[in-house]
Amino acid sequence: MKRRMILVMCAVLVLAAGFGLAAKTYKIAFMPGIADPFYFTMEKGAKAMAAKLGADKVELIVGQYPATWGPDAQVPFLDALMARGDIDLLFTAPTSTQALIPVLKKYFDKGIPIITVDTYLGDGDYTKTSDYSFPLSYIGTDNKLGGEVVAAQLAVLLGGKGKVFLENTNPDTSSVMDRERGFRQGLLGFPQMELVGVEYCLDVQETAQAQVAAALQRNPDLAGVFGVNVFSAQGAHAAVAAAGLSGVVKVGTWDATATLIEALKVGEVDFILAQKPAEMGSLCVDWGYRYLASGKTLSVPKKVVPGFFVFTRDNVNSPDAQQYIYSK
Amino acid sequence: MLVRIGRNWALLALFLMLLIFSLAGKDFLSLANYSNILLASVTLFFLAAGETFVVVSGGIDLSIGFVMGLVCVTSAIVMRDLTAAGASALASISAGVIVGLILSLIPGAINGLLITRFRVPPFIATLGMWGIANGLAWLLSDGLPIAFLPSAVRKIGTAFIAYHSPKTGLTLSPPQLATREDILGLARIIPIPVLVVTIVLVVLAFVLAKTRFGRHTYAIGGKMDAAVRAGIDVNRHLLRVYILSSFCAGCAGVMLVFLLNTGILTQFTSNYELLSIAAVVIGGASLTGGRGSILGTVIGVLLIGTLNNGLMMLGLQIFYRFIAIGIILIGAVLIDRSFPELLYAD
Repeated sequence: MKRRMILVMCAVLVLAAGFGLAAKTYKIAFMPGIADPFYFTMEKGAKAMAAKLGADKVELIVGQYPATWGPDAQVPFLDALMARGDIDLLFTAPTSTQALIPVLKKYFDKGIPIITVDTYLGDGDYTKTSDYSFPLSYIGTDNKLGGEVVAAQLAVLLGGKGKVFLENTNPDTSSVMDRERGFRQGLLGFPQMELVGVEYCLDVQETAQAQVAAALQRNPDLAGVFGVNVFSAQGAHAAVAAAGLSGVVKVGTWDATATLIEALKVGEVDFILAQKPAEMGSLCVDWGYRYLASGKTLSVPKKVVPGFFVFTRDNVNSPDAQQYIYSK
Repeated sequence: MLVRIGRNWALLALFLMLLIFSLAGKDFLSLANYSNILLASVTLFFLAAGETFVVVSGGIDLSIGFVMGLVCVTSAIVMRDLTAAGASALASISAGVIVGLILSLIPGAINGLLITRFRVPPFIATLGMWGIANGLAWLLSDGLPIAFLPSAVRKIGTAFIAYHSPKTGLTLSPPQLATREDILGLARIIPIPVLVVTIVLVVLAFVLAKTRFGRHTYAIGGKMDAAVRAGIDVNRHLLRVYILSSFCAGCAGVMLVFLLNTGILTQFTSNYELLSIAAVVIGGASLTGGRGSILGTVIGVLLIGTLNNGLMMLGLQIFYRFIAIGIILIGAVLIDRSFPELLYAD
């Protein structure tokens, strides 16, 4: 009898220990790329998911936001964040496809799983073995797919025909070049639509404005313009407005910043393709937690792509759409 | 005669370029396109005019592009915040303009004091300010465009002196036109920003060519010792020259708010200071000082603006602009070096 009691007690102890292990609070760290509304919104999404999973399951720890984009600004804050020593998993937006490889590898080698969000290491393909394929997953936008969505949306507005112009920014940045590739690809589906020019403003809005003004001059029948990022988009819609052609020449842009949303409301922009930073943050915490809770055995997809939201004047004021505006 | 033509080779090159682009580029030859060229050159006109004074005095000012960005951001923040606080459009716009222009005096004063009192070479003093001004602009704006300005800002920036449409006749305010044909058929005569910069350029040309301030600037740039012996307070004069240069950059920054309808910091890729120096040199100024004029600089800016627009109209991308301007800049100095007799003919 006594013996049996001891056995039962032992079993209870083992089970309790097991439950104790399972109920551990995982510390998930988030290191953003730069202090801007995109990453603030991502943090909000991550926080919401952590709260949903429960404070006893996940604790989200956010690193200091770098003021500028680049490894020089990001790595010191990342090191400070990881110096706590109790982080179970890190998700971060590497600010360089190359420079962050050894930095993140160092933490990976200490047994900390890494998820890259929004930006990636190398070419972002973690399925084939390479010196940068160690991250658990890349969770972020497929820029090429986004470019195709913009082409399709522009086609819808223009009835599937007309001349369009692409205002791009830096030809050495993978994300915007993917958007261009996608846009070109997407236009192939509409044989009556013609891409009449591509320009690069090098992130100078004044240059973008002059380039789009020249494009309008050169193509009096231009029907649409796609500005791939905030500077090229603002230059594009300003040039169209200055020519008195707002509403006549359709302007499509990327990223739902408050500035562009305002331009949409006053009629200088016709639609905005919004990424879903909140969903990215949420997905990172969700996949991260499930991976840790499975004892690091769960197979996480190497690439997770959240969808897009397209803002138009019809939906920009709807309550449901407000969550997709990037905000502090 | 030949000497005169040779001295004005930049003007000749400009006419030649206008001719070539008019023949080669579709839609180059039109009122709207000339408006585009002038509008796209407005900020460079301001910057290069101020730089002309500095170069004539024998110095250099590398900070102007980023001073422009700093003023643009600050001016826009003042307009945005006053509007958000409920101030009228007139009050917030005036306050933004005034704050921006006053702020622009400070970098120039610091440059001038470093150069005259502490004997810091102009290249270094203004290179330091180049970094400081851009850093401050980043800090103030978080690297993001400043929007939500009063709607009058866009209206002023895109206004013209007069409009003529076959439908509505000659009007002073833009007529409401619905169809694309009518909008494209609207002749818009002289953009307001171009009018403003023209007035400023005329005043600056007069100051440099006809006043004692101008003569002293040439004297200091020509031969510093002689200027000192002639009793010119060189330090005080140079301080004023750098403040003037910075103020011109401030005018450019304020104007940029109206042109863009946003406050935006200067990106490193824009190279405003280098383009300004190029325009001044193409216009016939010498980097060793004592030579140059506002008219020459205006021709230099127009040459760059026309080249840029002409290349865009031909469908060539921005990278060709850098190459073309580089070639013209080197060509300008080569012509001056090869035919020195042209320069001192009078």
